Amino acid sequence: MGEILNFANVELYYDHVYALKGVSLTVSEGETVALIGANGAGKSSILRAITGLRKIRSGEIHYEGKRIDGLDPSAIVKAGIAMVPEGRRVFPYMTVRDNLLMGAFTRSDKAEIAGSLEMVLGRFPRLKERFSQAAGTMSGGEQQMLVIGRALMAKPKLLLLDEPSLGVAPKLVQDIARSIVAINRDERVSVLLVEQNSRMALRISQRAYALTTGAIALSGNSADLLKDDRVQRLYLGGEL
Amino acid sequence: MEQVIVNGFYLGAQYALIALGLTLIFALMNVLNFAHGQMYVLGGFISYTIYGKLGLPFVVALISSGVTLAIVGALFERFLFRTVIKRSLREESTMLLAAATAFFLDAVILLLFGEKQRGVPKIVKGVYNDGNLIMPYDRMVVGILAIAFIAGFILYMKYSRPGRAMRALAQDRVAAQLMGVEVDRYTMIGFALGAMLAGIVGGLLVAITGINSGIGGPISIKAFLMVMIGGAGVVGGAIAGGFILGMLESVGLTVLREFGDVTYLVIFAALMVFLSIRPNGLMGKPWG
Ligand SMILES: Nc1ncnc2c1ncn2[C@@H]1O[C@H](COP(=O)(O)OP(=O)(O)O)[C@@H](O)[C@H]1O
Ligand SMILES: [Mg+2]
Repeated sequence: MGEILNFANVELYYDHVYALKGVSLTVSEGETVALIGANGAGKSSILRAITGLRKIRSGEIHYEGKRIDGLDPSAIVKAGIAMVPEGRRVFPYMTVRDNLLMGAFTRSDKAEIAGSLEMVLGRFPRLKERFSQAAGTMSGGEQQMLVIGRALMAKPKLLLLDEPSLGVAPKLVQDIARSIVAINRDERVSVLLVEQNSRMALRISQRAYALTTGAIALSGNSADLLKDDRVQRLYLGGEL
Repeated sequence: MEQVIVNGFYLGAQYALIALGLTLIFALMNVLNFAHGQMYVLGGFISYTIYGKLGLPFVVALISSGVTLAIVGALFERFLFRTVIKRSLREESTMLLAAATAFFLDAVILLLFGEKQRGVPKIVKGVYNDGNLIMPYDRMVVGILAIAFIAGFILYMKYSRPGRAMRALAQDRVAAQLMGVEVDRYTMIGFALGAMLAGIVGGLLVAITGINSGIGGPISIKAFLMVMIGGAGVVGGAIAGGFILGMLESVGLTVLREFGDVTYLVIFAALMVFLSIRPNGLMGKPWG
């Protein structure tokens, strides 16, 4: 299977302070890749670089063989990369319905959009119950489902998820993990999953990268990393 | 009493339209458009020139006011606000720029149209009078048009593609970008639309109150008042603020007449008390 994303030697700065100092990673078609690391390690910065929210200082980002660093975020969404941002970020005063339709903003075929809506509502029946409710009034877990559904409405080929388990009731973390597995399998979407819940991320991914202060410290098969001493000590200590 | 309410409602519809434009720009860019009143005045003079001087139909005048101001708004956003917002690190910079655009437009208006008060022939003659209520027909037409524009604006924001994009931008800029909303494009559309609303009200009201180059500042202040009453950045707030101010003014002018010109003194005093209790106005949320 081919590479869908190639992130090579990327450096990213906030003013004069680096957040990424030469990070490289790849995602293959159909794969779920986890990105773990402590708070402030630079995980979100990697996703911001891919989506064009933040310009990179050096390095190259290729998606489906085409260079995308320097493109506008809207062009990157259109090309097929959707992101679920950290902290959910629903449109609080829009209904669930309008939030989902915003996800399809770059698409124009009404029939296909309706098909995606049906798929999302089938996957997250809770959203159907809350269809006409303002998104800001829902629980954290429901909002997380909404933003994942909203990202799927773009019909992405690569889905970036930034800490989907953060601030979600422990009972729902399982549900969200299962949804990610199902989406990856059924919708043929490649997934790059950022998590501080490393155990969950390693369980549902095939490969993983561990990040420390802006550089990749470890990488490999998730199953191996789950057993790795250093990972146990650094990333799995005391969790769950 | 009915008379006072009808007058307040008529005034409120105009005010709400002014406040909607101001609040749209604020919600999208976090810029308080100090030049809003000047944009109104420019719209008024364009309407005066085309309808009053050239004798073309009022509709043509109104459309010209709206279109001209939309272009002015788009140019202001593209060449002034966008560059300053991208390059400056402090919010004061856009505030100063906004003030500068107001002074600039004041000077342009004075140069082009002079300082005389201008009026136009009545758009509709006659007065409605049932013994109880008196309302000139032209005021009715202008009032109904204002309400139609408000309704049109709300529908546009709710159902059109640019409307949804602008609401999304106002509610969460980053999330909107991740949906593929082009920030620059829709910010420009929003500024143009806000300016257009100011121009349309100016173009409408020239038929009733006439226009003169000195009222830009006072109109801006009224617009700020309405937005403060209703809550900044909220459609419902702008409409509520507009109608409340219109009603207060109408009631004040009747009830407080014997005390002299104190209506606005009372309104300002009341507003200070109100804001100290509810600093975010009636509805402290952005863009429902
Ligand atoms: N907007 C910003 N401005 C300045 N520094 C930032 C900004 N966002 C993140 N940083 C810094 O960049 C580093 C990496 O942040 P981030 O990518 O958000 O880490 P993570 O997602 O792994 O917690 C941190 O040191 C953080 O403080
Ligand atoms: Mg983060």
